[in-house]
Amino acid sequence: MSQSPSAPEDEGVSTAVKHALGWLVFGNAVGLYLSVLLLVPSWQVGEWTYGRWVPVHLNVQLYGWTALPLVAWLFSMYEVGRSKSAAWAPAAVWGWSAALAMGALHWLGGETGGKIFLDWKNGALWAFVVALVMLWAVLVMAWKERAGGWTKLKRRVSLGGLVGLAMVPGVIILTASPKTYPPVDHLTGGPTGSSLLGSSLIVVGLMLLLPRVVAGSGKGRAGWGTWAYFGFCWIFFGVAEAVGGTHFDWWQNFSLLLMPPWAWLLARDWKGFSWPRDSRFWRMAMFGWWGLLVLTGYLMYFPWILDRIKFTQGLVAHSHLAMAGFTTSFCALLAVLLTGRRVGGAASVTLWHGAVVVMILTLAAMGWREGAEPSWMLLKPDWREMGLTTRSICGIVMLSVSTGWLINWKTR
Amino acid sequence: MNVRAAIVVAAVYGYFLIFAQFSFVELLRAGGAGLMQEKVALGIMAVGGMASGFLAAWRGASPGMVRAALGLAAVSSALAPFAKAMPGVLGIALATGCALGVATVSLAAMLPAWCGVAWIGLGTGLGYACCNLPGVFTQSPGGQAWVGTGFALVGLLAVPSVTGWREHDSKKVFPIWGALAIFTALVWMDSAAFFIIQHSEDLKSGTWGDGLLWRNAGVHLALAVVAGLWLARGGARMIPALAWAILAAASLTVNIESSRHLAGWLYPAGVSLYSAALVAWPGWFSGADGKRQAGWRAAWLFAIAGWFGSANGIGMAQTLQQVPPAFVAGAGCVVIAVMVLSNLKRWRPAMAVAVVGLVAMAFPKRADFLAGDAAARGKQVYLSEGCIHCHSQYVRPGSLDEQNWGPVRDVKEVLAGQPVLIGNRRQGPDLANVGARRSEKWLKLHFIDPQALAPGSVMPSYAHLYESAKLDDLVRYLRDSGVKALPKVMETSAQWKPAQVAPASGGKELFGMHCAACHGPNGLGNGPLSLEFARKPANLVSGPFVWTSAGESLDLRIARVIKFGLVGTDMPGHEVITDAQVLALKDHVLKLRTSSSGQ
Repeated sequence: MSQSPSAPEDEGVSTAVKHALGWLVFGNAVGLYLSVLLLVPSWQVGEWTYGRWVPVHLNVQLYGWTALPLVAWLFSMYEVGRSKSAAWAPAAVWGWSAALAMGALHWLGGETGGKIFLDWKNGALWAFVVALVMLWAVLVMAWKERAGGWTKLKRRVSLGGLVGLAMVPGVIILTASPKTYPPVDHLTGGPTGSSLLGSSLIVVGLMLLLPRVVAGSGKGRAGWGTWAYFGFCWIFFGVAEAVGGTHFDWWQNFSLLLMPPWAWLLARDWKGFSWPRDSRFWRMAMFGWWGLLVLTGYLMYFPWILDRIKFTQGLVAHSHLAMAGFTTSFCALLAVLLTGRRVGGAASVTLWHGAVVVMILTLAAMGWREGAEPSWMLLKPDWREMGLTTRSICGIVMLSVSTGWLINWKTR
Repeated sequence: MNVRAAIVVAAVYGYFLIFAQFSFVELLRAGGAGLMQEKVALGIMAVGGMASGFLAAWRGASPGMVRAALGLAAVSSALAPFAKAMPGVLGIALATGCALGVATVSLAAMLPAWCGVAWIGLGTGLGYACCNLPGVFTQSPGGQAWVGTGFALVGLLAVPSVTGWREHDSKKVFPIWGALAIFTALVWMDSAAFFIIQHSEDLKSGTWGDGLLWRNAGVHLALAVVAGLWLARGGARMIPALAWAILAAASLTVNIESSRHLAGWLYPAGVSLYSAALVAWPGWFSGADGKRQAGWRAAWLFAIAGWFGSANGIGMAQTLQQVPPAFVAGAGCVVIAVMVLSNLKRWRPAMAVAVVGLVAMAFPKRADFLAGDAAARGKQVYLSEGCIHCHSQYVRPGSLDEQNWGPVRDVKEVLAGQPVLIGNRRQGPDLANVGARRSEKWLKLHFIDPQALAPGSVMPSYAHLYESAKLDDLVRYLRDSGVKALPKVMETSAQWKPAQVAPASGGKELFGMHCAACHGPNGLGNGPLSLEFARKPANLVSGPFVWTSAGESLDLRIARVIKFGLVGTDMPGHEVITDAQVLALKDHVLKLRTSSSGQ
């Protein structure tokens, strides 16, 4: 499925990236507002409480900033820009954004299913399903037109992809249902190690796929050993998931121990490809965050560490490491590769990562302290407010930087 | 020259806002003019403005014309406080209209020769900001007329002498009919909302009240500058749509008391955004190829969107005393229709958005709130308010949670919840067994004013739930979910002993923080919340422990009450404070009693 980066005139790709950046800015603004609300609760506006804004922040970052670059990637892979359905690609993106906007209005109005990242309910749920169907239809139209000129392997794999994507609306309906819930570690109430391994392996899969689809020339250094290890991880995930258990059980802990090698394996694989110059900074950042994410992810699942940080700011720190650090770098890299345009200059990118580092360290320190003494957040208001103020300042920097990225997106 | 051009824009805007919109009308009323006379005067001003605008376009704009118009404006506003008789008032109205008509049209046509489009935002923002300065805004009508004269004179002195048309990339963002429709809708909505706010005391105090003028000035300036920069970067198409969205939100929120202060932020933001675009459109975004063409387009725009739109907005507000939601929606349809029809290749995205929007609105909302008993409805309130984002409902086995938050629940029972409400972050306590740890009354008071019972808490007020049965339902849900835990909570309380640690310092301060709201600062049971409870909080000086012999058993009993409260009463526990702090509080409570018996 190798191909060169999409041409800049691919309107579907550029629209998706532009919308993603727009949602990043909006999500950051909401995040900043939430952090300020923890300092000044009276700044709540009417019935739009902290609890109603949180799903807006989380979902906008996931379904807006993170998902739309992947939509752009799908457009690129299925060569939508070179097909007659190109004119419909921006419409699919607008439909997606409209569904997300409708979702935000529903969440602010108190319409939520109560499942974090799967709060889709009633009208918002069906609006999102319609948006997914629109996107799928665009991909199917492009496939029908373009697949004739592809290799047999690409044709089959891309058809399999379409079959898989056809299931996404159903999966969303099913997983958003209050009746379903993933396995939990009954000692913490959180996900099991194997669940975390499963979601991480999806990311690994995307990172193995990315250079083979959108990078320049070259050949990856993932030999048979890497692919065998990938398969082994999936098998282990399946077994551990079926057995269940807690973070005191070796197989659950071992599940996450399978992740750190990927930090090295993926970096080695990517070295075999030639990359556009503008992607270097984001690639380095992405691998930096990725390494940190898998390392801290494993350490934080370790018994006694997880017991100390569960439900604290420490987990918020880790979430920001994942989203503001790794995912943002991945999405920005994807945007650069797909469009050939830069996402931010060296100064703004450095500023972003600097703010993320400070925010994560602050939240991690607060969480560690809070875990030892739950009263710390309540009875040490000076320390608490210093931490939360630092977080808000980082939020201002991140909002400003991302706004700059959006405004400057036109420049090539 | 850029700065001088921005100053002229600020001067013309400032003059229009402070004199033509404010001071002149108030002077009329102060002079005893009735509604009809007011309408006639404003009508003459509008006719003069439109006619002179077209005249200026026909003659062709020049710096001299702008100067002459500003000179006439200065004279007109300077004389206004002295015009008492109707002929004089009408003369002032005509002169002001003519001055504004010529000034606005000539200025809009000349601006591309004088500055870049980004400077329009600064000029517009400065004009609005100056008018919102407390010293200007709260000035008497006569004083504001003199301020208007000041604006006109400053503008007159700042007018650059450059006459040529500087070649620039003049884009046709909207066709003329489209620009007329969009800006008329925006001015109409703006004028109506402004009139409503100005003529309702509580709305005015909520949006232009004490201390808010500086904020308004800042928002105006900031958003106008942003608009200017955005215009320079190709935002001309999006700005009117965003301005409509913001003004629509302002128009709707201003009618709801709990969100009225939001309107105070939104209104100036929306106005500044579109105002900068309105000034810039003739010169930069109408596709004009010279200042004569730009002048004609400005004349049409300001005649229809400016004079006609504002007159109708005020008229609608006077008649209906509100900005009807249907009008807001209609204005939105106009904006969207122009954006789509003027750029037909966008019909597909517009259709996709419309389909998704219709699907979202096709499903009934909040049906869950009608279903089930009070506890079931309360669970829906718990979900709806997003309590899950600050509170867990999961007591971790073998952890400190068990002592603080009550017994562990069977994981199967937890996972049977639809949805499961484990949560992932605690900004506040775990609520799995809160019904066993807090009384109904305490929960209600805490929802209404969290900081009164828990100083320093980051929990926001949920007083708005009190307006319906939602608060009762939520409290019932929380209470019911803790019933099963009561025996275990009592058992934990009865068995608990504080660690062998020295008491923390500051027992009195801790008492003030955790106890005084109910028990009073001196423990007399007369705290500010004491009357809220059916049974008054205990008088700790002469109350519950006074007949108990001092000793280890008394110390332990008091410590347990402080830590876990008295199950079944309104006395809450203080689960998260440390044992050293519990001991410090215990010592202070004992001291209250002994110091009393010593007296």
